[in-house]
Amino acid sequence: MFCDEALDSVEAIAAGELTPEGRIAAHLATCPNCAAALASARRLEQLLQARPVQQAPPQFTVRTMATLRRRRWRSEQFLDVGFNVALGLVALVVGAGIWMFVHRSGLVSVSNDAVNVVSANVVSLAHRIAPSVPLYAGATALVVTALGVWWWAERDAAL
Amino acid sequence: MDPAHERELVERCRRGDEGAFQELVDRYKDLVFALIARTVQDRSRAEDLAQEVFLRIHRGLPYFRGEARLSTWIYRIVANVCVQDHARPAVAVAFDRVIVDPSVPDRQFGDLELRDRLEKAIARLPANYRLLVAAHYLRGIQYEELAEALQLPLGTVKTQLHRAKQQLRRLLETELR
Repeated sequence: MFCDEALDSVEAIAAGELTPEGRIAAHLATCPNCAAALASARRLEQLLQARPVQQAPPQFTVRTMATLRRRRWRSEQFLDVGFNVALGLVALVVGAGIWMFVHRSGLVSVSNDAVNVVSANVVSLAHRIAPSVPLYAGATALVVTALGVWWWAERDAAL
Repeated sequence: MDPAHERELVERCRRGDEGAFQELVDRYKDLVFALIARTVQDRSRAEDLAQEVFLRIHRGLPYFRGEARLSTWIYRIVANVCVQDHARPAVAVAFDRVIVDPSVPDRQFGDLELRDRLEKAIARLPANYRLLVAAHYLRGIQYEELAEALQLPLGTVKTQLHRAKQQLRRLLETELR
């Protein structure tokens, strides 16, 4: 019966958390089984303290930061796609609402007349500015080229 | 790390300072890796899990209130990651690139076979016992810090550790004599 009590204490004694005193000390000195258990516990304690300490691989920080950036980029992409889909759905719902409102309120005939007037004006405006289109196109090309050269020069300076 | 520097580092990480987070990884990588490597006993798996720990730290930093020490909070994340991983089958222990702590003399138990048997016996322990044994014998992790990290009473941590060692003693009965 006393062996059970002593055996319950051997781990704590081996770890130095308990000092064997009185009955337990006397029992450990006389009982070969309990003394052997204490010796095993002490050996195990030594083995556990001597377990090798493994260090992180040399590139661990670099790899972790790369994984972090990759995951962040993926979650941003996911957010972007989600936002665009939500925006598209909102536009669809608003468009459908307007369409239903126009049809149910009898505004279709009025809006048809308005569309005819606007398209006639757009056609006449196109006829008037047609001769100047090459001039505008040339000017735009010049501005775009100048902006491109400026951007290229700035980028090189930044590098 | 002193508490003021720790708070400043956490604050910089929260503001999105990548350099600060890199400093945090550099500071804790060896401790996290050593703890996980002792628990899962497979180096490549340990690296994956250690990375997962730091990704969780990065996600969780905005919610870290500083009530516990940063290291205690990190141990808690390590414990969660290791316990979640425990369903995976254990892999044979790799002894390459092992660095023995020079502060603990190797003394009479230098033979690799005994160490190998010890590692195999540890691998047979339940996940929570494995983690306790790994953490307690890694320099610098005290009972109190373990109890706080695992959110267990101090007495429970001590009892579980004693039971783990009893189990190990039984598993290694012939080798330890």
